Amino acid sequence: MNKRSLIRAYLAGICVPTAFLLAVAAGFTCLRYVYNLPLPIERVIVFPMAAVPNLWGLWNILFVSLLAPRRISVGLFGAMLPLLLAPLGFIVSRLLQFPIPAHVLAAAPIGLPVAMVLYYLAWKYLVGSLNAELEIV
Amino acid sequence: MTHKPSGDFAEDQLRERLRSAEPPIDAGLRRDLWPRMLERIGEAPRGSQERLWPFAVPWFDWALAGIVGATIAFFPALIPALLYHL
Repeated sequence: MNKRSLIRAYLAGICVPTAFLLAVAAGFTCLRYVYNLPLPIERVIVFPMAAVPNLWGLWNILFVSLLAPRRISVGLFGAMLPLLLAPLGFIVSRLLQFPIPAHVLAAAPIGLPVAMVLYYLAWKYLVGSLNAELEIV
Repeated sequence: MTHKPSGDFAEDQLRERLRSAEPPIDAGLRRDLWPRMLERIGEAPRGSQERLWPFAVPWFDWALAGIVGATIAFFPALIPALLYHL
């Protein structure tokens, strides 16, 4: 393992959601305060702002330290992350009494496999390339 | 005393044989290298395509991306949930 590879793995992991968060937070804020969306998004924005990037970083540390030496695909490992994030996000929104719209809840069974595929692609091509760029794996 | 040790003699012989075996180095240029240099500068750097998009994306991943895109288009209610989890 390279020098300080776990710190670099963490940074490579948080990079993608952190960069994406700029667009997500801007979109949510516009919807809430410009278009007066009647949903208290500010209650749950902490989840995509804090929990998700950190989990990506920790997930990449797990991958680099445990699975990369065994030649396991980063995409497949990344695709498993929504299995942790989806219930966690649901629990956070319930604890903070965020009213999830009914049509979003109805789409949840399709949402999990879609999220897994999206995560597979993001981890394979974005996180994987960052890992290679930082010479972690 | 002009006596040479046998080791020195063998070394001289070896040097002579090497000189006769190797062609003399031509220190002068046989042609102008600048046109070739200009060609090299004008060429796209090797691997520039890979730099821009360093992945050879297999058809399977394109298919997955297409399926995801189509699913999101059919179920736009997924978008806020996906953004919330990314």
